[in-house]
Amino acid sequence: MAPLGRAALLLAFGLVAYALVAGSYAAWKRRRRLALSAQNALLAAFPVTLIAVVVLVVALGRRDMTFVYVWQHTSHRLPLGYALAFWGGQEGSLLLWLLVLTGYGGLAVWLNRRSRELIAWTVPVFGLVGVFFAFMLCFVSSPFHLQPAPLDGRGMDPSLQNPYMLAHPPLLYLGYVGLTVPFAFAMGALLSGRTDERWIVATRRWTLAAWMFLGVGQLVGAHWAYVEIGWGGYYAWDPVENAALMPWLAATAFLHSVMIQEKRGMLKVWNMVLVALAFNLSLFGTFLTRSGVIDSIHSFSRSPIGGWFLAFLGLMVFVSVALIRWRLPLLRTKTKLESLVSREATFLYNNLLLVALSLTILWGVLYPIVSDALRGETRSVSKPYYDFFLHTFGLPLLLLMGLGPLVAWRRASLRSLGKTFVAPFAAAVVTGVALLALGFGSSWPGLLAYTFGAFVAASILLEFVRGRAAAGGVRRLVSRNRRRYGGYVVHAAVVLLAIGIAGSSAYQTTRERVLRPGQSIHAAGYTLTYVTSTGVRGPNYTGFRALVDVRRGGSHIATLNPGMNDYNIEGPHNEASIYHDPRSIGDVFTTAQLVNKQGAVDLKVFVKPLINLIWVAGFVFVAGSLIAMWPDAVEQRRLAARYAAGAVPAGL
Amino acid sequence: MGWGLALAAVVAVVAVVFVARPFVREPSPASDELDELAPEARERLALAEERDRALAALKELEFDHRTGKISDEDYRAQVSPLRRRAAEVLRALERGEEGPHERVPGQGERVP
Amino acid sequence: MAAALAVFVVYTALAGNGIAQVRPSSLAGHTGNVSLVGAVVGPVRGNAHVRGGLRFVLKDVRSANPARVPVVYHGSVPDLFKTGRDVVVDGTMRNGVFAAKPGSLVTKCPDHYAGKSSKT
Repeated sequence: MAPLGRAALLLAFGLVAYALVAGSYAAWKRRRRLALSAQNALLAAFPVTLIAVVVLVVALGRRDMTFVYVWQHTSHRLPLGYALAFWGGQEGSLLLWLLVLTGYGGLAVWLNRRSRELIAWTVPVFGLVGVFFAFMLCFVSSPFHLQPAPLDGRGMDPSLQNPYMLAHPPLLYLGYVGLTVPFAFAMGALLSGRTDERWIVATRRWTLAAWMFLGVGQLVGAHWAYVEIGWGGYYAWDPVENAALMPWLAATAFLHSVMIQEKRGMLKVWNMVLVALAFNLSLFGTFLTRSGVIDSIHSFSRSPIGGWFLAFLGLMVFVSVALIRWRLPLLRTKTKLESLVSREATFLYNNLLLVALSLTILWGVLYPIVSDALRGETRSVSKPYYDFFLHTFGLPLLLLMGLGPLVAWRRASLRSLGKTFVAPFAAAVVTGVALLALGFGSSWPGLLAYTFGAFVAASILLEFVRGRAAAGGVRRLVSRNRRRYGGYVVHAAVVLLAIGIAGSSAYQTTRERVLRPGQSIHAAGYTLTYVTSTGVRGPNYTGFRALVDVRRGGSHIATLNPGMNDYNIEGPHNEASIYHDPRSIGDVFTTAQLVNKQGAVDLKVFVKPLINLIWVAGFVFVAGSLIAMWPDAVEQRRLAARYAAGAVPAGL
Repeated sequence: MGWGLALAAVVAVVAVVFVARPFVREPSPASDELDELAPEARERLALAEERDRALAALKELEFDHRTGKISDEDYRAQVSPLRRRAAEVLRALERGEEGPHERVPGQGERVP
Repeated sequence: MAAALAVFVVYTALAGNGIAQVRPSSLAGHTGNVSLVGAVVGPVRGNAHVRGGLRFVLKDVRSANPARVPVVYHGSVPDLFKTGRDVVVDGTMRNGVFAAKPGSLVTKCPDHYAGKSSKT
């Protein structure tokens, strides 16, 4: 079986290499049949890669320990679902990258095949990225190494055996790899010297989908960290977490600025820069997560692929910069920003803030390497650094989300602005004052987040109310303006997210005490009484649970049981116990550690108001993205007519 | 694992056939030239995008006005230039259909 | 962009330069607050929730370097903490013993793909 897998990967390598080489030559020398041939090679790469995936998945399902990879990541007792998650190790994750790349790339190219000139150059770009991953899989990091079969495998870390962790990597990869599609088409457009918007039209939904998956993937990961790891938080600014956030921020900027290019024909150079930034950051993110180059708490062993990845990343950055520079004269337009108070301008400010935030996070991630190189000493930054920039850039971004819709394109007179501004502004002021009176002034970032959130929420609501009146019903309104109103729903999700984050961090209450049975902790209106502890036993662990009685205002509302499982092989593992309070949409989060044989426990309590808004935001986010992505027959026809030079059905 | 390698060989052959298909189907075609947008076609495309932009901007302006986001004054001030622009582009497109077209002033440029 | 850069420069100037990450073998020169990265060498004694604290020894990760640093720690013990694990802990060196900042102990995830690690 392994030889089949290896052969499939070699064949895949050959196919993408052909797509790269023959495709480039064909595009350069304008050879139609060769270009088609290269396109076919790219299309064929997906089923071939799929064969390799099937071989690996079957081996994993059968727990065939002669496969080194199977031995490293499964055991005979591991439930099937987790065993089949082939992306768990480095080799498997590279395979997933290649699979999604060839799948997405093939489909995107196929759907746009009639745009021959553009596709002729897009195929080799996909080929180039594919060649790297196929090369790694064939010659550097193969999932098909064999060994004499040991009795059992190393198993999977119990904290990973969790449905959230199952979904997290594929979602992220659909995002990361998805950003290759707009990148490839953008570079294809540059290479073919096309300055029209064909590439944007072709890739708009792909970008939106990739961005959605990347966002959801991060939320799923955060939720897992919160419930499973039990340190009381959901985001730690760890390099591996930032690795996914940075490309997501860049992609957010890109999604907005692309709208400006569509509406006003401006910012062509900036869009090229952004799409290249988003793609290269997602490569960097993959590299960070897998190479151990930065001593993150998620550090894997220093793997040999680090050097290769860095070289490839350098190559792609060089290619991006060179291509943009080469085509700069073609991209420059004479259209200028007509006013600093216009929707274009707010989009521009939004872009600047998003990119600035992304770059400061990047700096924070690279700091240990930079400081080591410059001073021979590794220093790292942590939460205070990131929090500062999150507040400095994030809060204005939140505000802009509310301002943008109120401002017209091109030029907004202050008078018009005043009219539309009044209601949301009033809502914000009222909220702010009320919150101050209620004591929320204890945290000014939190207060600002809530106040700005109210502003944005009011502004979005107003859009729907006004629009509904004009269009005759919300359904008609939304279906005729899918992108705009889908976007508003996404903004609403961001508001929920911001409020949830603010509540659960700025207004969090933490208490920790060593308790004997019968003693209590008071936190934010709750009284938690430690009753007793009991031992627990599982197939591969022993442990204890502390029974905790939760009361509010004297009445019992919940019983929690935080504790610890001590696994035979892996060691101790915190089991947090969480009470979801419908009244505050928040959580009472508890962990317990045994202190002595008399049953005293160290109980830690976090009261996190509004935290569940974060998870709710995830659903709203998906809904909004889907609305914005939804195919629109009228728009499709119009675009088809526009590109009728080749009778092209535009993109998805 | 003989069958595994046999399967691999079959897949490889299929793949090669698929890749060679364009050459097999047209061993000696009339033209092997890759389509390219001629300069006039590119100009037309640019104009078409311009036209769509202008029309979309008008539509959006009208919608914003109806929903009360833009005052009557501002609407009147903005709608004429937009309409003029759209008309210009439409004329240029029509002219292009008949013969060589004039250079349409870029957006934001002063019209002499 | 210029404004962003200005904010950034001002911040880094004011906030200092992050915290140094050191290995047991390079701890010698550092007197202030550092982040110590090492592998836990047994035996692990004591209890993190009583006065005496949890006591363990750290050595350089994946290295034969003989340097050893004894650590005293109070606070929550993170997941998967045991002999052989790689850990990170903040604190200062005092009288030959590394006095850890309470609650700052973090274990690094073992050699698998792993999304998150355990923190206190």
